Amino acid sequence: MAARRRVAITGLGLVTPVGNDVAATWAALLACKSGGAAISLFDASGFPVRIAAEVKDFDPAEVIGDRKLLKFANRSHGFALAAAEQALADADIRPMPATGNRWGCAVGTGMMGVDFAELVAVHEHSAAGGELDATRLLTDASANNPLVFCRSQSTTGLSLLTRRHDIRGYATSVHTACASGGQAIGTALKLIRRGAVDYALAGGFDSMISPVGIAGFCLLSALSVDNEMPERASRPFDATRNGFLLGEGAGFLVLEEWESARRRGAHIYAELAGDGNSLSSYRITDSPPDGDGPIQSMRQALADAGATIDDVDYINAHGTSTFMNDRSESAAIRAVFASRVKDVAVSSTKSSMGHLIAAAGAVEVAICALAIHNGELPVNANLREQDPECDLALVRDVPERRRVRIAMSNSFGFGVSNSCVCLRRPDAVDGAGFRA
Amino acid sequence: MNPRRVVITGTGAVCAAGRDPPSILEAIRAGRSAIAPIRQWDASGWPMQTAGEISDLNPRALVDDRKLHKLIRRTDLFGLYAADRAIDASGLAAYRAALEPEAALEYSDRTGVYVGSGGGSYESQYDYFPLLTAAQDKLPAFGRELSSSVNPMWLLRTLPNNVLGHIGIRHGFKGANACITNHSIGGTLAVIEAREALRTGEADRALAVGHDAPIEPQMVLYYHDVGLLAKDTIRPFDARRDGSLFGEGAAALALETEDSARKRNAPILGEVLGGGSATDAQGLLAIRDDGDALARAIESALADAGIRAAEVGMIAAHGNGTPQSDASEAAAIRRVFGESAPPATAFKWAFGHLIAAAGIIEAVLALESLRQHVVPGVATYAVADPGCAGVPVAAEPQSPRGDVALVLCRGFAGTNAALLLRAVS
Repeated sequence: MAARRRVAITGLGLVTPVGNDVAATWAALLACKSGGAAISLFDASGFPVRIAAEVKDFDPAEVIGDRKLLKFANRSHGFALAAAEQALADADIRPMPATGNRWGCAVGTGMMGVDFAELVAVHEHSAAGGELDATRLLTDASANNPLVFCRSQSTTGLSLLTRRHDIRGYATSVHTACASGGQAIGTALKLIRRGAVDYALAGGFDSMISPVGIAGFCLLSALSVDNEMPERASRPFDATRNGFLLGEGAGFLVLEEWESARRRGAHIYAELAGDGNSLSSYRITDSPPDGDGPIQSMRQALADAGATIDDVDYINAHGTSTFMNDRSESAAIRAVFASRVKDVAVSSTKSSMGHLIAAAGAVEVAICALAIHNGELPVNANLREQDPECDLALVRDVPERRRVRIAMSNSFGFGVSNSCVCLRRPDAVDGAGFRA
Repeated sequence: MNPRRVVITGTGAVCAAGRDPPSILEAIRAGRSAIAPIRQWDASGWPMQTAGEISDLNPRALVDDRKLHKLIRRTDLFGLYAADRAIDASGLAAYRAALEPEAALEYSDRTGVYVGSGGGSYESQYDYFPLLTAAQDKLPAFGRELSSSVNPMWLLRTLPNNVLGHIGIRHGFKGANACITNHSIGGTLAVIEAREALRTGEADRALAVGHDAPIEPQMVLYYHDVGLLAKDTIRPFDARRDGSLFGEGAAALALETEDSARKRNAPILGEVLGGGSATDAQGLLAIRDDGDALARAIESALADAGIRAAEVGMIAAHGNGTPQSDASEAAAIRRVFGESAPPATAFKWAFGHLIAAAGIIEAVLALESLRQHVVPGVATYAVADPGCAGVPVAAEPQSPRGDVALVLCRGFAGTNAALLLRAVS
């Protein structure tokens, strides 16, 4: 059988609550800086949760320059365009007229909907009594504004990215809640492997820090209510954890078929080596206490990468800082790694960045690539009293220097999808001769 | 026998024209359109008043799980119903019940679910209207009154991946999965990705589902404003065509490796031969007049399936009835097939455009058509458009040229998908 095509990660782009590019984000993670603060995007004073990890001092126009395109973009699309721009510049390759057909795009997209200001406008004009009056909608400015329409579709982000970069191959958008970013990266991996495309721009973007977004999570009691200490609110695997800190942002990767990336002399951060997906099929919001579901996605990702538990040095955990997730994930990691669990370093960078929802998986795959590239593991911040049920080898207090052979990124979503992505250091690939 | 050939062992579908594939096809063959005045709200004063609504909806009759209805929306109901029908028809879940516990666990882990979902609605945000009224649009009051006004399950009910999650929970499937929110091509991509998962060994069986319920006031208004909606009739490839109309519903395919299907003596209805996708990259609404990306999607589907264009026995066109889409679709078909395209049909005239479910319900109907050896006529087609030359569509039924159907699908963001199916009679 012919050798399976391998996939190289050759470019990274990040817009996160702790930095508006890769260098700033990485430095902040190593320094355990938190992105948590009082919400500034709207008046949250009446909400049970008044903190979040916002992207700060960000102007997409500064990064991408195209103000006309940005008229069709909401806040999350601005993050996506900026992170994608960084990733393509970093990879030093972009779709050209002759190659655009061979580029694909796979994105993890947040939930569709209009911005809160538009919802308020429709309410004022067409639903002042609390119920929609469909006749009034006919004369509603927001409900007749094509720009509001174009900004609010589930494929808006995809359309902006493919148009701006002239990506003309297989282009897709996925949504599996908190697993979206990881599944988008996995989708792109498969597109290149099977030859549907040779290059892909893959990532995720989201922004739910709005009255309706915060409200949805408040209603589920999923968020930390530590309003007085936003920087400590996200403390995955700590015994005192009490919910997640909502973040926002985008992460993008440029992926290329391995041999062609080598031929052009590209800098390769890592091999995108394996992908595993499963369904917990337990309950729609609850994590299975025994880790069933995440266990299968981790094992599949390892098998898909042609690796074993002995090759793994680092896990970027889903680690949301909710009571259930962190115990379930710990149980899964224990089950998969058995006696090796003490040797595998684990951290959740949500401890610094908060939970970027549909962007989380993509951002965290990029963090894994940086961990391999820099030989340094980011800290599981805010860990003081480790939950005995979460007895993992967490990276505490300071970054850990370590040569990483295989890194894993976990993402588990509401609605039961689990994603695990494996990355391999590039010098472990060349000459290894993996055959499918 | 290729052990990893991907076969179809069950189908399900629901739309305005019927609640199973044979009765939907029967309505189409009889020339009956289910497009009717909108009833979900008073649209009598609206400039556009028709759609393919599923009428007389009794949720409990579609999905008999009282508690579940509090956690899902209309679109999810359709998706779960179609999925249940495909699972029943294939015997996928029933077969597991007879396995030893260990083997049953393995079976569940090796059964995937791939869903194309509409991605959300405007109406779901309207659940906040009473709160906005009570708070007089003041945010602090909005925050304070939140939990006394809005259903605590609001976010869960709104998740675009609800059908994926609830199929998993209801049927215990735990394998590879995706929820694709890629506008109209989502359902088709669910089939393509499910097939890939089976072909490459990620799973042995998978359910592919597409579902959508786009008929809501704000959505209808936007589509009307940007010029996509017809006055009252979808006339694919006809010179008089003036736009598309919404429908709603879902469809599902139970897919298995041939090995898995043979092992349990499952009924084999057909085979998924291949698929392809490409985008025009012109923006959310714009498409190229030359149909370039659609032509490339067809070419990559043919290459993926390893067959020649001449082996295609019928085309189930996207045919959404908008002037530009149909003309550019015809251009793509001419580019691939020249003057010798096989008999073509399009289904949307009969029940509307199901958006995320459009491609997959049309795949199910194309398979049913092949099994009945017919390319159904398009009852609203009468006046040929020279701009759509090369698409052999007709008001009268035609005969397929072979047992392979090409199913086309196009969506926002200039996306296109092509799927090739073979029927087994």
